[in-house]
Amino acid sequence: MLQYSFMQNAIVVSFLIGILCPCIGMFIVVRRYSMMGDTLSHASLAGIAIALLWGQNPVAGAFIFTSICGAFIEFLRNYFKKHTDLILSVTLSLSIGIAITIISSGKLKTNAESYMFGSVLTVTRTDMLTILVLGIISVLVIMKLYHQLIYISYDEETAKVAKVKVRLINYIFSVLVASAVAASIRIVGVLVLSSMITLPVATAMQLEKGFKFTLVASVIFSIIDIMTGLFLSYYIDVAPGGFTAIVSVIMLLLVIAVRNLGKIVKYKQKAV
Amino acid sequence: MITIDQLCFSYNGKPPFLLKDINLEIKSGDYISIIGENGCGKTTLMKILLGFLKPTAGSIRMDKNAIGYVPQRNDAALAGFPITVEEMMDSYRRLLKIKDKSIIGDSLKLVGMEGHKKFLVGNLSGGQTQKIWIARAIMGAPSLLILDEPSTGVDTDSQKEIYGFLRAMNLQQKITIIAVEHNLEAVFSNSNKIFHIQNGKGHLCTPQKYAEEYLHVKERNRYHATV
Repeated sequence: MLQYSFMQNAIVVSFLIGILCPCIGMFIVVRRYSMMGDTLSHASLAGIAIALLWGQNPVAGAFIFTSICGAFIEFLRNYFKKHTDLILSVTLSLSIGIAITIISSGKLKTNAESYMFGSVLTVTRTDMLTILVLGIISVLVIMKLYHQLIYISYDEETAKVAKVKVRLINYIFSVLVASAVAASIRIVGVLVLSSMITLPVATAMQLEKGFKFTLVASVIFSIIDIMTGLFLSYYIDVAPGGFTAIVSVIMLLLVIAVRNLGKIVKYKQKAV
Repeated sequence: MITIDQLCFSYNGKPPFLLKDINLEIKSGDYISIIGENGCGKTTLMKILLGFLKPTAGSIRMDKNAIGYVPQRNDAALAGFPITVEEMMDSYRRLLKIKDKSIIGDSLKLVGMEGHKKFLVGNLSGGQTQKIWIARAIMGAPSLLILDEPSTGVDTDSQKEIYGFLRAMNLQQKITIIAVEHNLEAVFSNSNKIFHIQNGKGHLCTPQKYAEEYLHVKERNRYHATV
């Protein structure tokens, strides 16, 4: 399996997704913006469709379109303060509408299905390099804005008092989400992409530790999930995206079970 | 320190105004409690002071001082947020660009929470959370401390401790304190001035004057010891 160059590309990209997605997902989950991850991942399909229609790189198309949608959501958030869920519906409807219109027109020369379900065969060397650059820049930006992002997530008003440029950082964060989405599309696919962003973080949060610990744990869970999903999906010959989502949910349930078991054992030991 | 002149505010920028022709002068070392009925504009005025909202009309002049802010607790929103007391304090220290890490321990010690560094903030009680937020607010050595209902959801013993810290900071370190309050007992025990908002208009007075004007005899007697 490892002798195939497409598989080598897929492993490198998967490893990078395993680091990038939970780094972004951590801030999405603690801000309770999980639906935003879902909306933007679906919105990327429109970016892919537009790029394929114009004969451009679909990963770049997804990144640009998703960044615009992220900024659009952030912009509208200030106007629909009481109904932020509406903004997500509007963005989702618009982007899915564009995607379906283009795909159903029959003008695409490439099959868009692989982007919905994820496929290891589609990862080219150029994609790998694009994703590598996108991923490294994103991780560096997160490291630079780490404390600002923590405070905007934890207590936005206090962040403003400390002179954090909340609005600007929120726009930058939208672009970071877009880059995670664009990087993950090839392997994971649009339909279950948000699971890669949120599930490893949800799993790590079950450990009930501090921020840094939870972040590192979510990266570890994420790499385990995606690598297991990638290798097993290769052997049973199914799309890696769907299978990785199943592995992630199983991992979450497993951690919840182990945690509860540990609590029961502790309780019984105390009782004795 | 702060001069508010003919300030008017409404959320849509048009009349009717939530706050009308507000005039207020806050001097260095004051402890001012902002009180009034629910929805009268107390928190709105505080948000204007913090720069979160812009006045529709009028002006605010403020000395350029470091501000410490203690927001109103929202347990539901913060439940399950995976952050330890130390991480929360350290991130804030970095935002304020304070190099000395020992300030975290020193600030927590001031509010008696130095033993809780490794605790998750979400697992603390209301009173403990409020104490660490005060510790966070004083990390930047502010000359002005703004608090939004500091006793909400806090048990009586912790309330006593919290107001004890605030009083000490006000009297000993001369930190000016502005607190949006609904707790009249705390208002009378701590503040030297009351800013009472009613029907959009503001009225500055001493606690004694407020008690004479607005409280019934029974209530006045209840707070008599502290007035």
